[in-house]
Amino acid sequence: MGAIFYISAAVAVAATVGVITRYNAVHALLYLIVSLLAISLIFYILGAPLAAALEAIIYAGAIMVLFIFVIMILNLGPQAVRRERSWLKPRMWVGPAALALILAGELVYLLESGPAGAQAGTASVGPEPVGATLFGPYLLGVELASLLLLAGLVGAFHLGRRETGEETAGEQEIQTGVAKAEGAAVEEPGAALGGE
Amino acid sequence: MSELRNIIVPLITVFGVIIIAMSMAAGLIWLERRLLALWQDRYGPNRVGPFGLLQVLADLIKIISKEDWVPPFADAAVFVVAPAAMFIPVLLTFAVISYTPGIAVTDLNIGLLFFLAMSSLTVYGVVLAGWASDSKYSLLGGMRAAAQMLSYEVFMSLSLMGVVMLAGSFDLRQIVEAQRGLWYVVPQFPGMLIFLTAGVAETRRLPFDLPEAEGELVAGFHAEYSGMKFALFFIEEYLGITLVSVLISVLFFGGWLGPLLPPLAWLAIKTMFFISLFILLRATFPRPRYDQLMSFGWKVMLPLALTNLVVTGGIILAAR
Amino acid sequence: MAQVPMDYGLALAAALFVLGLAGVIVRRNVIFILLSIEIMMNASGLAFIVAGSRWRQPDGQLMFIFILTMAAVEVSLGLALVLRLYHRLKTLDIDRADRMRG
Repeated sequence: MGAIFYISAAVAVAATVGVITRYNAVHALLYLIVSLLAISLIFYILGAPLAAALEAIIYAGAIMVLFIFVIMILNLGPQAVRRERSWLKPRMWVGPAALALILAGELVYLLESGPAGAQAGTASVGPEPVGATLFGPYLLGVELASLLLLAGLVGAFHLGRRETGEETAGEQEIQTGVAKAEGAAVEEPGAALGGE
Repeated sequence: MSELRNIIVPLITVFGVIIIAMSMAAGLIWLERRLLALWQDRYGPNRVGPFGLLQVLADLIKIISKEDWVPPFADAAVFVVAPAAMFIPVLLTFAVISYTPGIAVTDLNIGLLFFLAMSSLTVYGVVLAGWASDSKYSLLGGMRAAAQMLSYEVFMSLSLMGVVMLAGSFDLRQIVEAQRGLWYVVPQFPGMLIFLTAGVAETRRLPFDLPEAEGELVAGFHAEYSGMKFALFFIEEYLGITLVSVLISVLFFGGWLGPLLPPLAWLAIKTMFFISLFILLRATFPRPRYDQLMSFGWKVMLPLALTNLVVTGGIILAAR
Repeated sequence: MAQVPMDYGLALAAALFVLGLAGVIVRRNVIFILLSIEIMMNASGLAFIVAGSRWRQPDGQLMFIFILTMAAVEVSLGLALVLRLYHRLKTLDIDRADRMRG
């Protein structure tokens, strides 16, 4: 069973490398969806089934669809792919790769120098404890999250309008995606508490 | 010896579920045309074999023998992957349904959330098929389909949360077990209607089939597809119908619960009833406009679903 | 569930975060920058889940839910801003957005 974690981790890392190196935006998006699904599987392996389901429903299923809508509205075409190819010469990667490797080295060193032997994934924490804790001690966080979502809704609505005040097709799609993501994000754990 | 049983029995269950699901999807080709004909006062396919049953075989032979062509202006990789990306999540959902007290591929403790996750992933197949075809009608069909499916998924999730609150679990087997006293269609009747409507919208059936409207959008997001990939879209649609019918039976109508007959027979009867209901909807309803569809969803279904959720929660809380 | 050393889970989160960071630094197309920011947020969510799984508490998943909510809002507002940027500048090159009004 532990092998599933390592395989999923390898898939997630490989897909993420694919995201940042693609020239075509839709291809990069598809790699990111694969990475998100691999991480959702890792969540399930680590005993967090609610987080696994929410990652697939909301992150891979709603937020990435928002991206797809915008990419299709922008209607980039093959000249965008050629432009990306001209921007992303291999020598561009030297600086960021060096900085990233330094940071990664620091993080791994910090991890290794800490106390060893802690195991994750020993028990599965189901939806009921998460819901109970969410609407118990963290109730203020839920209210703040709903305020944040309201701000996002109003902001996306306002930013999506043209200056003449007409709604564009793109903005309607964005509002659809936003409302769906918000609705799912708020009520899933709430109902997980129900009945107990 | 028991380890061998632990491997053989789940394997048989898995293959049995897949084979039965695919057979249902193939049989629906024939059933839909016969039932549509019955309600439209004409004969359906009745030439090929007894009662036209071999029509399925004839259709499959025709589809398989077509040329498998990828348009030169299309994005080949995404074009080929899109039908599979739509078909796999729908087939995967059959794994979490509890068919009888003994038969289920797996009893996932988040089974219902798994169904919602898979239905979120089918949106990708549609929108990618529309985009990868690189044609105006396909792109328009794909975007319409994605917006429609996203919107109706919100109400679908909300309507299911009432059932979860009553049953106290996301596990489909426990939801069926909790309906021993009373089927959930009685306390959750608005929820059942909302789920039925959202299910019809999710599977892009009439009256919500604007994405692939034959008259308006020249077959919409699968206009550029032919051969086996096109067949995969239709198998996915029939699998979706079967899936939503089984889910309505399991979530609202007690699944395999029933007095005299064996549990599997009850589930089959209820599922066939809802499949026929889907086909009847196709035979009866006209198609609304796209903006009528979206405003019906957001202005009528969403308040209904939220009210259902609040009232259910309030009554459960008051009864405690 | 599978027993995995917590260090490996955190190392995976670190690797993904650093990959996202490299993507933010090197890409010029604003859509790709937003995608890389999503990678980074998902990696931090993974770190929270690993920590919650190690202590067997639901708080890790809770923080992940809050991160998910914030990511949804940030993506919607960010993409709305991208659309405005595109209407104004007719390009997605973030280096071209380099002057203020007045």
